[in-house]
Amino acid sequence: MAAPREVAGQSASAGIACGPAHIAIDQTESFPQQASVAIERQDLAKAVRQAAAELEALSSRSDADSAEILDFQIEMLTDEEILELAFARIAAGDSAALAWAGGLDAYIADIERSEDSVFSARAADVIDIKTRVLAALTGRPVADFPDGSIFVAKDIAPSVFLSHDWSRGGGIALTGGSTLSHVALLARAKSVPMVVGLGEIAARPGELILVDGTLGRAVVNPVDEAIPAQRIMANRLAHELPGAAANGRLHTADGVPVGLWLNVNDASDFERLDPGAVDGIGLMRTEFLISAPADVIDEERQYEWYRRVLAWAGHRPVTIRMFDLGGDKAVPGLGGAEDTSFLGVRGIRLLLARPEIARAQARALMRAAAAGNLKIMLPMVTVPSEIAAMSAIFAEEGALLAKRGIAHSMPPIGIMVEVPATALTLDLFTDAAFFSFGTNDLAQYLAAAARDNPAVAPLHADAEQALFRLLKLAVDTAKGTDIPVSVCGDIAGSPDHTARLLGCGFRDFSMAPSRLNAVRSAVMALTANGSPAEKE
Amino acid sequence: MPGSSERQDVERPAPRFQAEIEVTHKIGLHARPSVVFTRLAKSFPCSIELDVDGSGVWLNGKSIVKIMGARIRRGARLRIRAEGIRAEEAIEALKDLVARNFDEEKKHGRTA
Repeated sequence: MAAPREVAGQSASAGIACGPAHIAIDQTESFPQQASVAIERQDLAKAVRQAAAELEALSSRSDADSAEILDFQIEMLTDEEILELAFARIAAGDSAALAWAGGLDAYIADIERSEDSVFSARAADVIDIKTRVLAALTGRPVADFPDGSIFVAKDIAPSVFLSHDWSRGGGIALTGGSTLSHVALLARAKSVPMVVGLGEIAARPGELILVDGTLGRAVVNPVDEAIPAQRIMANRLAHELPGAAANGRLHTADGVPVGLWLNVNDASDFERLDPGAVDGIGLMRTEFLISAPADVIDEERQYEWYRRVLAWAGHRPVTIRMFDLGGDKAVPGLGGAEDTSFLGVRGIRLLLARPEIARAQARALMRAAAAGNLKIMLPMVTVPSEIAAMSAIFAEEGALLAKRGIAHSMPPIGIMVEVPATALTLDLFTDAAFFSFGTNDLAQYLAAAARDNPAVAPLHADAEQALFRLLKLAVDTAKGTDIPVSVCGDIAGSPDHTARLLGCGFRDFSMAPSRLNAVRSAVMALTANGSPAEKE
Repeated sequence: MPGSSERQDVERPAPRFQAEIEVTHKIGLHARPSVVFTRLAKSFPCSIELDVDGSGVWLNGKSIVKIMGARIRRGARLRIRAEGIRAEEAIEALKDLVARNFDEEKKHGRTA
């Protein structure tokens, strides 16, 4: 077992990743002889068209920022002048591949010579084009690499980055590269740890590498104990991670049970945690799992997301909220979803307006529900008929799955209470399986102060009294219906608000993992009505 | 002759127009601005050519390969000339685009 070896570089994207090294080989070619000038020109033009078509396909599956980068490459490839870079060499007797590589290399060297680092960083995008066309010429596909591995090379091409699935972890360790490259930008956006400028790293294929994008270094053969500790540190959870010691149910000082639940966006939020530390998942926000516009109608991909969280939770309930799109969460390329108003077509309004999205998600959820304790939460419900409309979609899709002989189960459907009209009339929502209070949106609608506008943000805190009055009224109303209530907005994870929420009658709190310990401590020091416990 | 000069050639029917403008975009014509510039240029039927800092070399303004290769940075003085149908309109539109810094500030993106 080799000793750990640390290599210093620069941070291009924060976070820690650890995995086996994938040593990417610089693609050098053995170039064939020229057939004829006309044939070589024809072959090259065809390869360039093919490369452009591949990038167009990739672009249509990518988010807006990624598509913009690919657009540049597509524009380059569809520019007739790019062929001119190689045609002179073909005329001089080179084969298409050799002429292309030579012509592009000279062009790339010109760009790299720029004193401006932003310009020279663009060279990586042109190298990517060169490689892709060469691959098309030689019939060899651009190679992907195993999920979860650490990509080690001089540089990484945007299209290689974009066609790789980073959801299963992994990171990037570059001996060269630039913190200003397009890939660095994409890595930061997708939270893929990345270090550049490592110089020689001398790792063998498959050797374990830890990429510390926060400190800008890589460790070859890290010591075993260092790995989990550093991973956790990266997420600033080290001192806050609830341990398995928090077994059994939590009680207030006067013995009333309180449930602690997790708010999660994707697997990285929960997979490090011991499920025994919580009662289950109180809110999984599915819209944050979308990495490409096509994901919203990709039933198989969604099914995998949901199965993964249910497998982690075991018998514990998992509440999955259907796509809450619109408002500040737009999906590029999704027609009708460009409405960025908080008062417009978002949440369930958008799901009902675009039923093909709701139907695909309903099928994925019902299939996952066959193997776990799944509950469904509808976002932005305003009137009871919206639940009925969505239930009808589930019933129809369930019948379809039954006809196809696919295992599925109809989960209970509850609602997110985040519209004041809903909070005031919970007695009308008798078809809901549960009420979960989304206090962030409820507060912004109540105070008529948008969450994304810093100029009015202080109004949320100033108008808190109104929020708590409404919560009290709503919880009292819900008691008459016997439908369970919980709270999953930011205040659920704020120990300063725990007393008032208990006072309103809440007994179930759902929050980000990092908030669990603080709220747990707060609950133990309070009685069920929210007053401080007497010292014994 | 500084500034924008509009000169109608009496001998030939095709109208020619020219303008001069300084690149004020903080980086220059890197990837995205080049895409935006050449796409706009290609939307006009007339020929469009660029000269950087009075080099005397006229580049095809519809070619992103040429424009990226010229490494046009902040402070560069561009001369843009167009000849043919809608040449005057093309010059105005391209000059405006450079003056607006290629609409770069309109960034999209999702907040968490």
